[in-house]
Amino acid sequence: MSDYDPIEPVNRVVHGVNGAVDFMVLYPAAMWYRDIAPQPVKTAVGSFVRNLNEPLNSLNAFLQGDPDQGAASLQRFIMNSTLGFLGFNDVAADFGIEYRREDFGQTLAHYGIGGGPYIVLPLLGPSNLRDTTGIAVDYVANPLTWGAENSDTINALYWGGLGATALHSRYSTINQLNELQKSSIDYYAALRSLYRQQRNTAIRNGTPSPISEVEDESASFDFDEAVEAASE
Amino acid sequence: MIAMLKNKFAIPAATAVLALAAAWPLTVNAANNTSVEVVEIAAEQSASAVIQALADQALADLTDQTLSDDVRRKKFVALMDRYFEMDVVSRFVLGRYWRSISQEEISEFATLLQNYLALNYANQFKELNGEQFVVGNETQNNKDTFVNSQFVRPDGPPVSIVWRMREFDNEFKIIDVSIEGLSMGITQRDEFTSVIQQNGDDVSALTKALKAKTGL
Repeated sequence: MSDYDPIEPVNRVVHGVNGAVDFMVLYPAAMWYRDIAPQPVKTAVGSFVRNLNEPLNSLNAFLQGDPDQGAASLQRFIMNSTLGFLGFNDVAADFGIEYRREDFGQTLAHYGIGGGPYIVLPLLGPSNLRDTTGIAVDYVANPLTWGAENSDTINALYWGGLGATALHSRYSTINQLNELQKSSIDYYAALRSLYRQQRNTAIRNGTPSPISEVEDESASFDFDEAVEAASE
Repeated sequence: MIAMLKNKFAIPAATAVLALAAAWPLTVNAANNTSVEVVEIAAEQSASAVIQALADQALADLTDQTLSDDVRRKKFVALMDRYFEMDVVSRFVLGRYWRSISQEEISEFATLLQNYLALNYANQFKELNGEQFVVGNETQNNKDTFVNSQFVRPDGPPVSIVWRMREFDNEFKIIDVSIEGLSMGITQRDEFTSVIQQNGDDVSALTKALKAKTGL
């Protein structure tokens, strides 16, 4: 009703398979990581994972016509890769240069392209047509991807980075997703809604929303109507 | 200079408000059956003051470690009764489907919804330890006032919470809460309408599921 999900039956199946794979592999690994790894290790891994994204963050910020942010991400990448020892320390943040994720899905959205149909990707989870395209473009554009083909060191870094990214990002949402899974009546629909809203927040770079805009994009019923209905 | 200017204008403005307030009953009497909406009087408490009051009361009522989960949930429901416009929230989260049920069923649904939310959120107050709640500024967007606030944690970045409020009978009531850009109302609406849709557009499938969750 609210989300555009024309291939919902297929998506629900993939969602189920993802859940099973997660339950067997990623979830136990993330729980283990959460309980065993000390906080400084987690912080370092988080910085390392984010640092690997910086070339793409920078590229996409430039593509969105935001050279200041593009330069900031590049600066972070250079500082953290050297002074911060391969990115394990986020020294740039100490200098007040904050991290910001920018991907090609956000770049497309910046030029007015809507999310399109909702897609649950195998292993990767919630996405939509626009963001799936973004993932493909980012994969090709990522200097690390082509660097990995020419150098064993970069190859090791690339695969290590992918593993660390999977582990750390699963860990960072573990409590919220556990809660959501426990409390929701339709976990699939709740995730689908949260994915759309979270992407919209990222596209706006976290600035306070014209909330009407968030609603317009999907709502068939808004608060004004609810208020009118209540006073009838 | 600016302060002086403000003062200069403040007195006539205050007089105008007083005059309006004094004239109000007369206007209503004179107009009698015509719309009362024409005359707007300010709410007794600003929207951000209401949120501050809610936060103070929630901290006083819900964080007590000795409370049983059941009592904590009841207090949570009482707070929602006081600060949320539940009739509006209920209709909103039901989407278009509110039309297919009666007023009594909507009231019943509101109670279920409150207990469902209490089940999911009340216990989080038990775990509060060293966090601070800071009420920020207000922004206006069409008919609604958005109160910005932050939940400051000792370990990790602050969480931004935005309260969407609207005036009902001269009182600001909450109609939605957004946490880090994620609207509770929209999330709940998308989930609930999906449940109804999956069950052949039957609202009772949702109420049945809510009853099973809440044990009501």
